[in-house]
Amino acid sequence: MGAVTDDEVIRKRLLIDGDGAGDDRRINVLLKSFIKWSNSTSTPEEGNIQYQRMLGTLSQCDFSMGKTLLVYDMNLKEMENYEKIYKDIEQNISTAHDKIAECKKEIQRAKRIRKNRQEYDALAKVIQQHPDRHETMKQLEALDKELQQLSRIKDNVEDKLELRKKQFHVLLSTIQELQQTLEIDEKSETDDTQESSMESGD
Amino acid sequence: MGPIELLHMSVFSQRFSPCGRFLAAGNNYGEIALFSLTAALSPEATNLSQKPVLTFTAHEGPVYSLLSTDSQLLSAGNGEISCWNWSDLIKRNPKAIWTRRPNYKTSLEIPEINAMALSPKDNSLIVGGGDNNIYIMDLESGVFKSVLEGHSDYIHCLTVREREGEILSGGEDGAVRIWDSRTAQPVHCIEVYKYQECARPQLGRWISCLTTDSDWLLCGGGPSLSLWHLRSMSPTSVFPISGCQRQAMFYQDMILSTGEGPYLYHSLLGGKVKAQIPCTSPSLNTLALNVHPSEPRVLTLGGSSDHIDVFTNLSYRAFSLCF
Repeated sequence: MGAVTDDEVIRKRLLIDGDGAGDDRRINVLLKSFIKWSNSTSTPEEGNIQYQRMLGTLSQCDFSMGKTLLVYDMNLKEMENYEKIYKDIEQNISTAHDKIAECKKEIQRAKRIRKNRQEYDALAKVIQQHPDRHETMKQLEALDKELQQLSRIKDNVEDKLELRKKQFHVLLSTIQELQQTLEIDEKSETDDTQESSMESGD
Repeated sequence: MGPIELLHMSVFSQRFSPCGRFLAAGNNYGEIALFSLTAALSPEATNLSQKPVLTFTAHEGPVYSLLSTDSQLLSAGNGEISCWNWSDLIKRNPKAIWTRRPNYKTSLEIPEINAMALSPKDNSLIVGGGDNNIYIMDLESGVFKSVLEGHSDYIHCLTVREREGEILSGGEDGAVRIWDSRTAQPVHCIEVYKYQECARPQLGRWISCLTTDSDWLLCGGGPSLSLWHLRSMSPTSVFPISGCQRQAMFYQDMILSTGEGPYLYHSLLGGKVKAQIPCTSPSLNTLALNVHPSEPRVLTLGGSSDHIDVFTNLSYRAFSLCF
């Protein structure tokens, strides 16, 4: 465990500041100068100068630490932002998927409707070729009327024919009767004259 | 297969497997080749995946017709029908489960079987071929139940109208006959060549493609491809396609048809030809569409060459499988 964390620490430190230029070097220089200053036996002016220099380096270190903290905060906020954008895009993707599925269904429906329409058109074409129903009905009615008229005329003519036949029949039968009565009369006349001649001959 | 044999090969029939992943194609040498569609359509497909995974000789003569049921592949060639299990074929073990032959009247020459259709209602197989008759066989018992006689010349194509339980057959004599499948009696006879708008007397009167959508019928061949309304038995649209069509199919709101000439035609029901898509074979014999719900929609076309064109989008050819 200790070895792992040491390795991690070493790796992190190398990653951050491997080359020794920058903050790490500044802190080392500060420490060295502090130790030198506290052990120095030089004039107070020089000591002051060194003290000022050390304060300068310290504030530099402070400044750079402040900078890195701000950068860290910024990174956190950027991460949040990216998370939000990521979620938005995910949602958009799923809504787009749903829309695509809907559109596919729509297309199937539209294709079916189009097929039905074309079938109707095709049938309509065939139907158009046949004559209009109203016209045919009218023609039928006209023919019906003609038929009725003709049958009425036929009935009339038949009645007339019957009547004439009956009249002729009556005429002929009366003629025949007359003929018969005339014959009977003639016969009775000749019988009478024969009888009278026979009587007178006696 | 030498190069000369490949040059003279014609693919006469194709069917997709019930799982939708394999395509079986029959050619004029009596062989059936099984192609794996998943391999050919996958992103890492190579030239090898466009070759068959299994090729075996099924019949002595050309395999004119293939039919697929839920678990079996039926193939018909020179007068006999063989049945193969799809699971056996996928495992590369081509062994016919049974081979039967309808009781032909003449025993001298054996007529070829040109078309087969399946009637799922009464689980029967309907075959028609060179002796002008249609034989109906019960799939479970294998007994040939009845014979439909009436055509005066050999039969090219058969289709079944499921809702009314009728069988439609088209033949060389130019007549489309409608038979009732239960009573085995002829119901109607449409002589397409007698109708002025469809007839093309310079090409002949034979009917080589028939397909039905229960209310509508597509038929073509010598006469132009035409759409008929079956209730009124009248032709409603005639398609201005110059070649003789050999196979046609209803798909969604359009009609796909192929035949003479290296084209696949997309037409609308109103009689307009919407698209004409070129293919590799100079003349096409068979069209198969995979409508399996979970497999990608694929259209394959085979004809007088050893290439089978595969269309993943119905409007253009994606690649070709070859024997």
